[in-house]
Amino acid sequence: MLHFLEYWAARLALLGVDLLPPAAASRWAAVLGSLWWTADRPRRRVAISNILRAGVAGDRRQARAIGRGAARHMGMVLVESMKSSLVLDDPERLRVDIPDDVAAALEDPDRGLIVVSGHFGNWEIAGQWLSRYKPVAGISRPMNNPRVQELALSRRQRRGFRMIPKYDADPGRFLKLLGEGEILALLVDQHARRGIDVPFFGHLARTHTTAAMLHLVARTPLTFLLCRRTAPMTFELRLSPLIAQQRSGDRNADVEAILMTLNAHLEAAIRRDPDQYLWGHRRWR
Amino acid sequence: MNLIGDSLSPMDAEGASEILARLRDVLRDSAVEEHDWDAVVGETPIESLGFDSLTILDVLYDVEEEFGIALDPKQVVKTRTVGEIIALLEQNGA
Repeated sequence: MLHFLEYWAARLALLGVDLLPPAAASRWAAVLGSLWWTADRPRRRVAISNILRAGVAGDRRQARAIGRGAARHMGMVLVESMKSSLVLDDPERLRVDIPDDVAAALEDPDRGLIVVSGHFGNWEIAGQWLSRYKPVAGISRPMNNPRVQELALSRRQRRGFRMIPKYDADPGRFLKLLGEGEILALLVDQHARRGIDVPFFGHLARTHTTAAMLHLVARTPLTFLLCRRTAPMTFELRLSPLIAQQRSGDRNADVEAILMTLNAHLEAAIRRDPDQYLWGHRRWR
Repeated sequence: MNLIGDSLSPMDAEGASEILARLRDVLRDSAVEEHDWDAVVGETPIESLGFDSLTILDVLYDVEEEFGIALDPKQVVKTRTVGEIIALLEQNGA
């Protein structure tokens, strides 16, 4: 029943997207996100629990407000991703801050790059922006609702961005594309069945190690990226200077150091704009 | 019992044997599953030791540290047996 409702909510959102100008479509999607927050009680409970555990809300009332804001935000992410050309083609709508060392890696066609982010701001826009430099491969977990997944995929603009299904993710494939100078874009803030426990907002969270291990063994440059909404359909995209972890000989220590750095970047962004984060995922299990 | 093939000279075989012994130690330390490590030979499939395409990156790191060399990760993930890793190590001066 919930899948059915989600699917029709998405169809309704798309209708609004098609009929309305971008800013109005974004507000329309935010309203639908708010309705979704009201309707999806299980995910709402997870989100409130996560927000309280992270310590970004002083009390339950504030946590609910952040959670609702985040649900509105996710609705907007969906619309913005489908109208991304409006953002990507307009420097007024996308302010970009790239450190010199990252710019050099992006502009070198023979040099691969690992770009890490989280479910913060609009990671879809970020991925599409990256693909202006070189081909980008991202790993995606299929949405829980296959009908919404199909609908979303049929509408997204991809440019040089391609998705690799999570269950088909093979390091051999990653190494090949990095060796060919492409970008591997990874989101590292979902629970990893296999991974290591790293603090996230002060609580241990099982975290994927692939980005860190690829950096260590393939010696591919690694950076953290954030794409923060500053106004409707307007973003600030920032990349961290390259994260260069010297190998100590202690693999776990090296991986942990990298993941802690990545988590610290993500935490700082979330603390600043907690309503731009996907809180409904059970990060701590 | 061959380590990596039939055509090794006695000196080659001795080198390969030493590499195998060191490699066994690395694999034992990297492993997430219990195994009879003394029974590991060149023909042993890496997958049978509990390593898959993800954990092979861990092995790669540990092997490089043990032997003090840098390997091409693309070649390592293609290896299917312990003997193939040994051959790769030898090619890279281990």
